[in-house]
Amino acid sequence: MRRGSLMKRPELWYSVVVRDRDGKVISRERRRAHSFLKQWNEFVWFFHFGGNIYPKITNGSPTKLDSHDNNFLMTGGEGDASLGIVIGTNDTPVAIDNYAMGAQIPEGYGAGQMHHLANTFGAPVVSPPNCGYSISRIIVNNSGGLITVRESGIYHQHSYRYGPVAYQFYFYSSCGVRDVFLTPQDVPDGGSITVNYTLQVTE
Amino acid sequence: MKQRMKIKEGLSYKVVVRDRYGKVLKRIAAPSQSYTRAWNQCLYVLNRHSSFTIIDTGGAGRSISYSSSVLRANAGAGEIGYGIRVGKGMMPVTINDYALENPCGEGTGVDQFLHQATSASSPAVVGSECSFWVRRVMVNNSGSTISGIREIGCYVMMKYSPAYYGLGYRDVLPAEVSVPDGGSITVTYTLKVTI
Repeated sequence: MRRGSLMKRPELWYSVVVRDRDGKVISRERRRAHSFLKQWNEFVWFFHFGGNIYPKITNGSPTKLDSHDNNFLMTGGEGDASLGIVIGTNDTPVAIDNYAMGAQIPEGYGAGQMHHLANTFGAPVVSPPNCGYSISRIIVNNSGGLITVRESGIYHQHSYRYGPVAYQFYFYSSCGVRDVFLTPQDVPDGGSITVNYTLQVTE
Repeated sequence: MKQRMKIKEGLSYKVVVRDRYGKVLKRIAAPSQSYTRAWNQCLYVLNRHSSFTIIDTGGAGRSISYSSSVLRANAGAGEIGYGIRVGKGMMPVTINDYALENPCGEGTGVDQFLHQATSASSPAVVGSECSFWVRRVMVNNSGSTISGIREIGCYVMMKYSPAYYGLGYRDVLPAEVSVPDGGSITVTYTLKVTI
């Protein structure tokens, strides 16, 4: 008999794999995320029902969300650390009103920087009782030194219309998801960290 | 390693049945069991910025592209293509459900309700939670009691023109409810995320 009394909810899982410069896996972590933030539900509300709402963008400013096809977009390309999966060095516990990584690792090759490859997606797969899809990103450390990664998250696009021109849009990023790893992940110079998020619903 | 942790991101519902004078006859509140695959597929379309074939409420596969209409549920009065619905089906929820099993129609005929506009609260943060609710009142002016209401759910818009709709979530009530003539049934879903 199907266990109909169980609570069925959207689940978010993340996995982290750290490799050295030779591709050898040196660390893994996988667990259920507890990390949907206020902005995530504000975006769901905006799509689901619509109206005036001012989610915070990643600099902390409440910014009106206007209807645009690009809202919720996560497809940051190579070198773009403003959309999709991002990482950081801060381990402050997640709070519902977090609006950005605690200390985001910027794009680049200098000290404390990492090179972000393009976000990739796994299309939704139905495997009863689940339906899930995934977003992944490889982020490479070519900084010349070791970088310890302690947090990950997802930034998505936030569209704001302003000014006398009817369709003058400005595009920002909002943080919908943030997680602090159970174990800090040391990424050696020449190595990489692969972060995967899976969003799943279950019957 | 399989981890068992308390899941807190959730969907829940409340059902209230009233008579013609507004007296509450029945209340049901429970956690929902019910996001269906179309919900997640719509999120994928928005996040990935792509097209994906999603089964609509008529059972047909439709190519859905990202747009601001995806997931919309703010249906007006009398609009039953999307928004909250009730029905008489009692088949258990499955991930592959694409519509209510036996939805009640719009109108004043047998087993029909007058669907009022869907309303919603704004997202609010309380403690470690952020939630909002979506609600619809359906009035029975059919001339007789509508009995056997057993399922509830929410249809969402997937494409504006031509209009395609999908099933966002569905629940089967623990017991059937009856709505007397002149009475109403109010369904409220709460969507919540929790740290």
